[in-house]
Amino acid sequence: MRKVLFALVGSAALFSWIAQAQQTGSASNKRGVTAHPDLSGVWTYAIDRAPSALKKEVAGTVTIQAIDQSARHGNATSVHGVLPSTPKPSYKPAYQAKVKELSDHESKLDPVFYCGKPGIPRIGPPRKIVQLPTETIFFYEDISGDPYRIIPTDGRPHRVNANPSHYGDSVGKWEGDVFVVDVRNFVEDTWFGEDGYMHSSEMRVIERLWKNGENLVWQATVEDPVVLTAPWVMPPRLIKPSMEPLEESPK
Amino acid sequence: MRGRIFGIVFTVMLLFASVALAHHSPSAIFEMSKHISVTGTLTKIDWINPHIVIAMEAKGEGGQIDHWTFESNPPSWYRSVGLGRADFAKAVGQTVTVEGVRAKDGSLYGYMQKIKMPDGTSLELINSGEAK
Repeated sequence: MRKVLFALVGSAALFSWIAQAQQTGSASNKRGVTAHPDLSGVWTYAIDRAPSALKKEVAGTVTIQAIDQSARHGNATSVHGVLPSTPKPSYKPAYQAKVKELSDHESKLDPVFYCGKPGIPRIGPPRKIVQLPTETIFFYEDISGDPYRIIPTDGRPHRVNANPSHYGDSVGKWEGDVFVVDVRNFVEDTWFGEDGYMHSSEMRVIERLWKNGENLVWQATVEDPVVLTAPWVMPPRLIKPSMEPLEESPK
Repeated sequence: MRGRIFGIVFTVMLLFASVALAHHSPSAIFEMSKHISVTGTLTKIDWINPHIVIAMEAKGEGGQIDHWTFESNPPSWYRSVGLGRADFAKAVGQTVTVEGVRAKDGSLYGYMQKIKMPDGTSLELINSGEAK
């Protein structure tokens, strides 16, 4: 009798899984190994790359090959699911002069000008995502190097003894179809925006990623109770899939 | 602010690029307003981050062989405009002309903004305004 019961339960579970797989199997809403939307893939580069075009002249014929920078500068505010955002963070009065000074002397004071690590959220959305059952890995291409982040999704808390770093300590979870990454434990060296957006070691960044058709949406919120008057919800970015593999840069 | 960033887009890239190797003030490396043109033999192309590097030999004013090195944008940038290492490597051993800015210290080092290949093809880094 017990075997019959197991068989019935097992069959019901299998049918349920098959039904779910059929419902979610379309290319635009593909489910990954975790039963959540599959964010895995290679995504368009989303960091400023200037100059923004190549002028090629062959036998008197000129062609201009411009770089797609829509993932960085496109307008994604009307995309479904985005949070209301503001163009700039709101600093407490005590820090406004400091931010202006940094911004005014950006070329001398911005660590990124010196090929420093941009950190989170300045590096933007990942170039490649590998979504696994208990962790998701973000890969980046950046002029400071090619960092990666391993984001646990098994419910573990932030590491207690982790050293502060440019890319912080991340844990991820799903809120419906939105992948939410909580990042904290940063060094104070980075700016979270090119306009002198300094921060304290108390900064916390919440990244939200979800699919919009075949595209990826990335939106980050910066919290820093020390220097900001309120969390800054950044404008969202809509990132198209990319066919360009990450550069391996062999020498 | 974003407009300002775009307004100085090429300069910014040069600043980014110029400091990559030495990691110090960009103004200490390149004479941004002084453009140079060097014609010589392409001897090597390194397709590496954070910048590709081109080596070439050119005859100096005294008749000696000068060994020039130019860096340029990252490999990923060139990939985005449809160029790979092979597009440059095919010219190794042949005559090319490189235009750019020279290191401020007067060394045989520069930042490549344009290259004219042996077959006459020219490749030039331009900003978004020039592209329109």
